[in-house]
Amino acid sequence: MPFLKQKNTAFEGGGLVLFLDVHDAIQAEKVLKKAGYGVKLIAPPPELRKGCDLAVEINLVEQPGIERVLKEKDVAYVGVSPLKVGTSELLEIIKVVDFGRWVMVKVGNMKITFDKESSIIVNISGGGCPDIPYLHAELIGKSLSEAPRPKDIGFTLCALNADRALEECLALQSGGNAP
Amino acid sequence: MMLIVGTIPIRDMPLTIGKVAAEVDFLIVDGRRIPCIQGTGAMIGAALATTDYLKLEAPCALLAGDIGQGKGSRDIYEYLIEKVAELSPTVLALHYWLPDMVLTRRLCEAIEKCNRRPIMIADAASMYSAKAAGRAAEFDIFTPDATEVAFLADPNATHPAYIARHLFDTDITQAPRLAEVAYQSNNAAKLLLVKGAIDYIINKGGIVATITEPDVPALEAIGGTGDTITGLVSALAYAELELPEAAIIAARANRMAGKFAHATPATKVRQVIAQFPAVFKEYLCRWSGVCFMEGGKL
Repeated sequence: MPFLKQKNTAFEGGGLVLFLDVHDAIQAEKVLKKAGYGVKLIAPPPELRKGCDLAVEINLVEQPGIERVLKEKDVAYVGVSPLKVGTSELLEIIKVVDFGRWVMVKVGNMKITFDKESSIIVNISGGGCPDIPYLHAELIGKSLSEAPRPKDIGFTLCALNADRALEECLALQSGGNAP
Repeated sequence: MMLIVGTIPIRDMPLTIGKVAAEVDFLIVDGRRIPCIQGTGAMIGAALATTDYLKLEAPCALLAGDIGQGKGSRDIYEYLIEKVAELSPTVLALHYWLPDMVLTRRLCEAIEKCNRRPIMIADAASMYSAKAAGRAAEFDIFTPDATEVAFLADPNATHPAYIARHLFDTDITQAPRLAEVAYQSNNAAKLLLVKGAIDYIINKGGIVATITEPDVPALEAIGGTGDTITGLVSALAYAELELPEAAIIAARANRMAGKFAHATPATKVRQVIAQFPAVFKEYLCRWSGVCFMEGGKL
């Protein structure tokens, strides 16, 4: 359970924040708890060690929000990794679909569609985390360059994929590479 | 009772439960206005359109505001864990929330205490958490898209953003193969309604049905058209259709509503939802044998 305010201290988050220094790991646990995140200090598996014997287990879905807090609080960390060491990796496979007047950019499970002429975001689809309907409400009707970045106002991995999709939309539009 | 559970993108909206009603472009639950946009709102809108047409009891919704920080999600989990046996829904449709494996397991344990096990349907992050918690096989229906089937097929993945590269494929035609992999590791519900350019209805034995017509490519771009399929299949299951039949009709009705709406990538999901009554009127009898005349059941 990712929220330590609850009495049951069971926790299973599926993600690790990795550090070079034990002090940073302890500091991270402190600031993240204060921000309301459920976290736990653990020893990382050997294959994920980056020089420190302590890592902070997090709910992996909350990666973007957690990284934002660590950056705001100047806590140094090496990176975030899924706890289960296997072949899973953060995917950045991009697919672009040309609908004529509109272009849809898909990154992972998230899709953003914009009007080629006006650069207005007309739809956001995909995803399943609670910040996605929020991003849908906040981004639709805004131009690509004026829309808030999902990585700045979202909290989850779905938002991270949406941000990458927006980044690609911006690149397509500014580079004139849109199909 | 059909109970739809999920978060709403309204900051600080407290836990809310009640029967759903429609009011122009909004939904009303316990006096609160809920936007009918991508997410749980779209799912509820589609379910309500279906129960209205079939003259069934309107869905009950358990909602909380959450923009991604998790508090509303936790409020929902805790309420449902405590009350699900008492509420005893016939259909329990879980939707957007912050996935939490431990709370999901506690919920599954609470559901085991229900006198009558509900038909359990999950989409969006409730599907993610069911799979990540190792409880997917306890669900009756999941409604993934192509990416999410790859997520189900990866035994290590806890979110579709992290998937083994060799499994990741946006090509919908790979869905049956990936579903087979997911079933081998018990990471799929009893029935999968895979949403895409081809809609696949799949169970452990393989493909049950494929739906390709009408072909409305713009639906993929419209936020909420996956949510509407989940709302449709939930309501049709509540109407006591066999689950594979409910899934087939849901997929067909969603496509047809897109066609009726003359959908473009800029169409809003509420414009698609508005077409469901007309779609049902024209096609439901032909598709299912559920036939109505104006004013009552045949």
